[in-house]
Formats: sequence, structure tokens, C-alpha cells
Amino acid sequence: MLPVLLHISVVMILSPLLLGIIGKTKAFFAGRWGPPLLQPYYDIVKLFRKGNVYSTTTTWIFQAAPIISLATVLISAVLIPMGSFKAPLSFWGDIILFAGLYGLARFFLVIAALDTGSSFEGMGASREATFSCLAEVVLFLDFIILALLSKKFVLSEMLEANILSSWPLFGPVLLLVGASYFLVLLTENSRIPIDDPATHLELTMIHEVMVLDHSGWDLAYILYAGAMKLFVLGGLFLNILIPSHGLSPMAQTISFWGGMIVLAVGLGAVESCMARLRLNRIPQLLIGAFVLALVGLLIILVKGV
Amino acid sequence: MWLELELVLIILLGIIILGNNRLGTMIQLFALQSFILSTTPLLIHPGKHAVVMAVVTIILKVLLMPWLLFWAIRHASIRREVQPLVGYGKTLILGGFLMGAAFLISAKLDLPVQETSNLLVPTAFSLVMIGFLLLVSRFKAITQVIGYLVMENGIFLFAILLLEKTPLLVEMGILLDIFVGTLVMGIIVNHINQEFRSASTLNLTNLRD
Amino acid sequence: MNFFLYSLLVLSVSIVLLMLTSRSKKTSEIIFLISQVTGCVLALISAVHVFVSRVPINYRSNFRMPVGEFYVGVDFLSAFFVLTVTVLFSLAGVYGYSYLKEYEKKNLGAHYALYNLALISLLLVVTAKNAVLFLIAWEMVTLSSYFLITFYDKEKAVRKAGYLFLIATHTGTFLLWIMFLLMARQSGSMNFDQMALSSFPLPLTGLLFILGVIGFGVKTGFIPLHIWLPHAHPVAPSHVSAVLSGVMIKMGIYGLMRIIGIIKDFPEWCAVVLLLIGMISGVGGVLYALGQHEIKKLLAYHSIENIGIIALGMGIGLWGQFYHNEFVALVGYAGALLHVFNHAVFKGLLFLSAGSVIRSTHTGEIDHLGGLLKRLPWTGHLFLIGSLSICGLPLFNGFISEWLVFRALFEGIFDSQMNALVFSSLSIIALALIGGLAAACFAKAFGAVFLGNSRSVENAQVKENPLLMCAPMVVLGGICLWIGLFPATMVFFALDAAATISSVKIPPAVAGAIMIPLLTVILVLVIFTMLVAVLFLFKRIAMKSLPIERASTWGCGYSVPTSRMQYTAASFAEPILQIFRNVLGFDVKGSKPKGYFPKEEKISSHVLEASEDLIFRPIFQGIEFLTAKLKIIQYGYTQLYLLYIFIFLLILLIWKMV
Repeated sequence: MLPVLLHISVVMILSPLLLGIIGKTKAFFAGRWGPPLLQPYYDIVKLFRKGNVYSTTTTWIFQAAPIISLATVLISAVLIPMGSFKAPLSFWGDIILFAGLYGLARFFLVIAALDTGSSFEGMGASREATFSCLAEVVLFLDFIILALLSKKFVLSEMLEANILSSWPLFGPVLLLVGASYFLVLLTENSRIPIDDPATHLELTMIHEVMVLDHSGWDLAYILYAGAMKLFVLGGLFLNILIPSHGLSPMAQTISFWGGMIVLAVGLGAVESCMARLRLNRIPQLLIGAFVLALVGLLIILVKGV
Repeated sequence: MWLELELVLIILLGIIILGNNRLGTMIQLFALQSFILSTTPLLIHPGKHAVVMAVVTIILKVLLMPWLLFWAIRHASIRREVQPLVGYGKTLILGGFLMGAAFLISAKLDLPVQETSNLLVPTAFSLVMIGFLLLVSRFKAITQVIGYLVMENGIFLFAILLLEKTPLLVEMGILLDIFVGTLVMGIIVNHINQEFRSASTLNLTNLRD
Repeated sequence: MNFFLYSLLVLSVSIVLLMLTSRSKKTSEIIFLISQVTGCVLALISAVHVFVSRVPINYRSNFRMPVGEFYVGVDFLSAFFVLTVTVLFSLAGVYGYSYLKEYEKKNLGAHYALYNLALISLLLVVTAKNAVLFLIAWEMVTLSSYFLITFYDKEKAVRKAGYLFLIATHTGTFLLWIMFLLMARQSGSMNFDQMALSSFPLPLTGLLFILGVIGFGVKTGFIPLHIWLPHAHPVAPSHVSAVLSGVMIKMGIYGLMRIIGIIKDFPEWCAVVLLLIGMISGVGGVLYALGQHEIKKLLAYHSIENIGIIALGMGIGLWGQFYHNEFVALVGYAGALLHVFNHAVFKGLLFLSAGSVIRSTHTGEIDHLGGLLKRLPWTGHLFLIGSLSICGLPLFNGFISEWLVFRALFEGIFDSQMNALVFSSLSIIALALIGGLAAACFAKAFGAVFLGNSRSVENAQVKENPLLMCAPMVVLGGICLWIGLFPATMVFFALDAAATISSVKIPPAVAGAIMIPLLTVILVLVIFTMLVAVLFLFKRIAMKSLPIERASTWGCGYSVPTSRMQYTAASFAEPILQIFRNVLGFDVKGSKPKGYFPKEEKISSHVLEASEDLIFRPIFQGIEFLTAKLKIIQYGYTQLYLLYIFIFLLILLIWKMV
């Protein structure tokens, strides 16, 4: 029980910091000071102190969706190893549960958006449903490749196969899987070039417009869940790319947390240097991610692993 | 291990070229790909022959030809590609299939690649396939030139296998051929643009009876 | 065994009684309710008894027909299907009694009699141990379903759907006759256990497999043999749709599994065929479903998708069986079987709630409904439970069966001896795609029908449906939740049935290897529920001191927003359909408004059914063309026909002389 609580509290405390680092990086690229590093914390606390406005059209589903979304991310955090903290819960096929829980959260957010009876939210919900279908396919292909490399289907054991001595053999494939997974990371967390988390115009929104009508505690839950989702999925990304298992605990800790900071800075850099893609280019981007992972699978077939 | 890393990066760049629609980006990616390619002989058969190959490839494919292509597109004032024959998504999927076919063919061909990585032949085939796909499915002349050059990169990878056996002169001859070809193509693109006010090769169909 | 026979007896007697009392509505209703529930309960008891006592039971009568005999037996596989049939039939029957209560102008007694006839024939199909009995029962199922489907036969569309159903099923049955005759010739007997003892040469098994796949596939709804399904299921009354989709389709699956159990050794390409069929049916079914406007047709296409998932499970199970990998075979078949049961439960639930909606609002068009969750709370929430189950989301039963199929597929990748890497990976990717698309489709269906504002004025006056319609749905929803949280019982039943198909004994390690991760999944879900409760409590306590306001939805700057400005279901599905537009065909009628002062314009689009238009319609048009040529021998003169007879007689005599 204690490792579970420890894991969850680490994620809860540190995830808004990630958003803060991204904000600072974007400000640096734009030549301004930018908001303070702890700004996301202030935002969430501010929202916790506000009341709510509920639309008369909505039902209990509208109020349930943020709760389910936050609970999902908290549970999924328990499955990811973070540096020297091993994942408290790991069992065969936990990835399927992982994907299933995220699917549940997404389903409820989508129907909560349709619940408001407004065309804005409907548009965001429709786009979110579309892109998440493709992203899930790419995600499963990445998991297939990782499972093939490590001959196991337990998430922490799959990532533990990623050790320094196996990089000469697996290195190129892991690179391709990492590139493909990075695109999935961008899609799932609605960052540029898929979606613009900063604007609230209908033309550029997918996730933002889906949660447009939530306020107060609901919006706080959703914001928090978004930050934690970025943290959890980013942690998974680092585990794929950094062969940290087998090193000393100190090295593992430094590589993980240092990697998180580098990831946040990288995301900020990507957001500052690119514009959001046109909507009909996003499926092509995801197909490109699929082809990348497919090449990784082909390489495995050729090498006869 | 470094060789395989480089080969994977080469394939990665090939896929990105396939899915791109900005001519400037495509030329830069091609230059990067050629740069990585030029270092591969040094990893396989280090020696004087390889160093000469690398230097000449860098001068020609990384510096001169991209400069030539940039000159051509600046004079013709084109920046982007129009919609390809089958659409970008389908082109990517088709590229994936062709790469699968390339991997299959190279597994069946069973060439002697013991000293190098067994990813070499599939990568070379994949580049040839991607180059062909670019040639066939795109409309602007410059993109077709880039496709031709990517195919050349693939053939270069094949040639590396025989590096010890081929005299240097043959290699130089091939590279000279490519250079002259690109030069001529650049001039022709300029003339097409002057004549038809656009650089799309679809206009060339006016030439038939 | 006695229970089972008693149930058959009760049902047969009830059919006769119902036919006799069909004029008097009240009597027939009471007889129907009592007989139907009793019959189902008796059969259910016998099935559960088989599972608990782990001994299959047989009954063979001394009555010998010219071919075939009355030989029924309940082994684990049959017991599993008896379970499925009885659960759904009884609940749908209770619902149907209440649904049809106010339908005045019909001979309801006949309908109830046919319902019981369908029940008996289905029970006979799954327990028959003789091929002739099987085929006779199969034919009885077809005929009774035909009459059940064409209940509203005043409408032309219903009659046409019925004809299509009859023709399609009989084509399949024809192939099944050939298959069973070949099997009987090889083994010398029409009894299944005799057939199981004999060995079949390899080319013959390939032929039998093809005949089985096409023959059973027409009934089951594999693409492209599925074209009767989207026509027949929507036009039937809702309890009949539920039973059709939930149980009758599965008879094809039962047939295939029985054949696999009898002819144990199939060549490897058979498994590949099953996997391919599973992939195509699964993805194709859900894509077609996304394009539908009418709720029952959408549910019918989803049945095709779930059959695809079942075929994936069977395919990988067959592959494992070929390579003697017992784990993969058992888990694959168990996943397929559990999905059979799960699909019967949640598809039944969905069809019954769709029926409630249609009964309350008198329309099934999704884009005319809206905001019904507040008006029809029971129906709406049960539809939500059904949607969550069918998408395979955790906490409900769909997740458990998809988990088992995933497990089999992944273990198939790891076993390098099996060479299953390519097809297993493709199947996993297809399964992931199916899950995502199904979630999008049901978000669309649930959201457009039950949430938001009502899109047409009539919906403002709907009322909730009577108790006897809601109670069966509650029971079905409860089963979904029960299996989702306590899967052990049903998983073990499924494993027992799977062992019958693959004819292996279950190694004790297998049960542990499957159940332990599942139990951890349940643990995680329990923690998840507790977290939800905790977060909810936090919010509740904090909200007591914070202001809450109710206002209408922000209209995005429109001064007079109407309910017609909401996102419709068609617009919701449009981006996905655009991505897959090369796989689906669209038929767009009408045009956009033109000019500066446009007049009224109409535009409508619907998804074309590719198999129907590209495969079957040309085939039938070709047959019609060819047979039209044959009309030349028909002139209408009796003398000509007599001349034909005379000529034929002459030919026979000459032939005899030579």
C-alpha cells in the first residue's frame, strides 16, 4: 500500500511543474520572462476556490467525467516505473488495462461534451474521438514491438529489457519506436502540432474546446488530470528511450528526472518552433507514426529476434 | 551498432521526405541524408578509398546539388508541392508496403553481407522504392529530381558493398553523371517555368499530338 | 437430463396451447409468460448442473427415423450455449410481452407460439448430436425466425427483408447439407461422436472448412455474406431483434466450433482465413455502423463487428491447436466463447433499450432524438451500461472477453514456433482499431439520442416505459456488471467449453495463469472505484461552501440558439468516415445552396453497402440475365410442352435400345 501512495503522491506533486517548465521554455523562445514556474499550481488552487456554473441541459455525466478522468490518470501512474521507484503494480497485460482506462476516461469526456448540447463541444468531441482512434492503433503497434523485444507483456518488465547492453542490438528499433511514441504523446496530450493548448478558438482546438463548459472544481480536476497524463506518458517515453535499468539507483534517478526536465524543455521548444498542422494533415502524421513503427517491426523480422 | 543507427536514420529521413510537401524542407532533408550516407563507407571499409568517396560525396551531394536545386526553385518561384497523385496518407501507407516488400526481397536475395550489417541491403532497396514512389506520384519537376536523387542514394549504398572491388574511376564517373543530370534538370525546370508560367510537369502533356 | 427434456416438453405443449388460444389475448399472454420462463429456467438448470457436476449428459430415444435419430446431449460446449440461449430468451420474452401489449390488431398468440418454437429449435440445435437432427432443427430456426421477423408485414421493407433472410439462410443451409453428407460418408455415421472418432484426410478437411465457413458464415454474418443482417434486424420488433442478434447469429459460431471439435486437425491456412475474416468483419462492421442514421441498423452492424472479434478469437485458437500450443488454443477459444455470451447480454440490452426509445418516441432516427436521459432515465442509464460494455471498457464484461482474446494473440506472437507473428500483429492492431472506432460510434449514438437537447419538438412529451420492460434490462445490465467485476465463474465455464472444442484437458497452470492477472485487474478496478468515490466526496464537501449557478449553455455568441444547432450524430462521425472514405462508399443526394439568395435545398448522404452493390447485386443480375435467356423454351403452348415430353420419351427408348 505504501509504495502505491508514494507513487501517486510523487506524480500529484510534480506534474504541474512540468507544465511550468514548458511555459518558461516557450517564454524564453519568445524573448519574454513568462509566467512563474509554479503558475500551474496557482491556477489549480485558484480553480479549487471557485464555484461552478452548470448548464441546464447537462446531466450527472457532465459532473462525473472530470472525476473519472482524474481517477484514471492516478491509477495509471501506479503502473509506470519512475527512475529508481519501481512500479508498485505490475501484472500480465497491464498495458491493455492502461489503454482501456484511458479509453474510459476519453469516452466520458466525449459524452460530457455532447451533454452540453452546444455545437462547439460537439466539434471538439468529434475530433478528439477521431484522432484518438488512430493514436491508439499506433500505441498498440509500439507495444507489440516492445513486447517482441523483451519477450514479456508486463509493462515494467518490458521496459526493464531496455538496458545498456542490449542497445547495440535493439538501439535502432527503440529509436524508431521512441519517435513513433513521441507523436502519440503529442496527440494524447493535445500539444502542438496536433492541437494548441493555449488558444480557445474553434479553429485550432480539439481538447480545449471539448472541456469548454466545465468550470470551478471540474475544470481544476481536468487541468490536473491533463498535467498528470503528460507526466505519466512522458515517463513511459523516457523509459523507452533511456536504458536505465541495471545502473545504480543514483544514476537511474538522475537520468529519469533529468530526462523529464529535458522532455519538458523539448516539448516547449517544439511548441515554439512549429505551428499547428491543418486538421486534415493530422491523420497523415499519425499514419507516418504508424509507418515508423512498422519499419521497426520489419527490422525485428529481418534480424530474427 | 553505429552503422545500423545511421541506416535507420537514413530510412527515417526517407519517410519524412515522402510525407512532406515543402520543397525547401525536402532538399534540406536530402542533404542531411546524403551527409549521413557519406560517412557510411568510413564505417565499413576504412581506408583511403573510403575517405576520398566520403569527401567527394559531401562536396557533390551535400553542398553543390542542394545549392543547385535551391537556385532552381528560387528562379521558378515555387515553394510548395501540389497534391500528389494518391494523397499524402495513402502515399505513406504505400511507402510502408513497398518497404515491407523491400525487406522481403532482400531476405530472399541473400547477398553476402557478413562484414557489414544485415540492414544494409534492405535499406538500399527501401531507398530505391521510396525514390521510385516520389518519381511516379508527384507532379512538380523538382520533386521528381529529388526522387531520382534519393534513388541514387540507394544505389550508392549498394555500391558500398563492392567498394574494394570497384576502381575509384567508376565511382567518380557515376557521381559526375548525377551531377550533370541535376544541372541539366535545373536548367530545364527554369525553362519550363518560363514557357508555361508554372513548373508542373502536367503541362508537358501539351507536347503530344 | 430430465430437466432438459421437461423444458422441451413444456415448450412443445405451450406451442400447441398458444396456437389454440390465439384468439384470446389474455390467455395466450399468460400461457406464454409462464411456459417461456419455465422452459428457460428448466434448461438453464440442466446447463448449470452440467458445469457444476462436470459430467456431460446424453439422451437417445429409441424412435428411429429413416435417417438420423433423436440423439441429444449436453456437453460443456452445448451447456454454454444453452446458458446463452435461455438467459436472453427469457428476458427478451418478458420484455416482448410488455412491448406488444398495446399492439391491438394482431394475432399475438401465433407470434408467441412461434417465439417458443424458435426457443425449442435453438435448444435442439445446440444439443443435437446427430447431423440430421441438427439440420432439421436448423431449418426450424430459420422458419420460425422468418415469421418472427416479418411481424409488421404490412410494410414492404419488412417483407423484402424477410425474403432476403430466407434466401440467404437457405443458401447457407444447402452448403451445410453438402458438408454434413461428406462428413457422414467419411465416417460412416450421422452421429457426431462417431464422426469425432474417425479421421479425415487433409484435402477433405480444407473443403469441409470452406463449406462450413460459408454455410455457417451466412447465418453468422461474416462480411461479405452479411447482407441480410442490416435489413432483417432493424425491421423486427425489438425483442425479436435482441434475440436474433444475441443468439441466432451465434448458432453459426456454435456450428463452426462443433465442426472444429469433431474434425480436430485443420490445415494452417484455415486459421489464417478465420483471422482475416475476423479482421475484415470487425473493422468493416464498425465503419458501416458509424455511417448509420437509424439506431437499430447501427446496432445490427455492431453485431457484425462483434462476430469479427469472436472470429479473431477462434482463429488464433485454431492456430494454437494446429501447433499444439494448448495455452493459446484454450485461451483463444475461451475468449471467443465468453464474447459470445457477453455479446448476447449487452447486445440484448442495447436492442431492448433501443426498443424502449422507439416505443416512447415512435422514431428510430438518431438525429431526430435528443435529451432523452432526463425523460427516460432507466432506459438511458441501461443503454449507457450497454455502450460501455460493448466498447470493451474496463468495469464491464466486454473488457474481460477482449482481454482473453488479446492474451491469446500476444501469446501467439511470443511462441516463435508458431510463425504467427505477422497475422497476430495484424489482428492485435485490428482489435485496437475496432475498440477505438466502437467507442467513437457509441459516444455518437448515446450522446445524440440521450444527451443534449431534443432535436424535434415531439420528444418533449415522452414518458418512461412500464416496469416489465425495464426489469429485464436491469437484469441484463446487472449481468454485465457482474461479469465485469467477478469474471471467475464465467471464465471457468468458457474454459471448460473451450477444452471441449480443442479436446485437451485443462492443465492446472493455465487456470492460474489466466486468473491471476484478471484478479489483479479487478483489484485495480476496485481501487479505481474507491478513488472515484474519494474524489467525489472531496468535491461534494468543498461545493457546500461554494456558489453553484444554473444557466443555459453558452451559445458561442449566437443570440437565439436552437436545439437544431447542436452537433448531430452524422457530423460527429464525419471526420472518421472521411479518413476511411476509400473503404466505404458514399451516396450523396442533393446539393449545397447556390447563389446569394438561395432557396431551400436538401442534402442527404448514406453509406453504400459495398458487398451488396459490388458482389451480390451483379451476381443476381447476371443470373437473372442468363435465366431470361432460357425463357425461349417457354412459349405457353401446351402442345409444345407435350412435344417436349414426347421427345424425351423417344430419347429414353432409343437409349435403352442401344
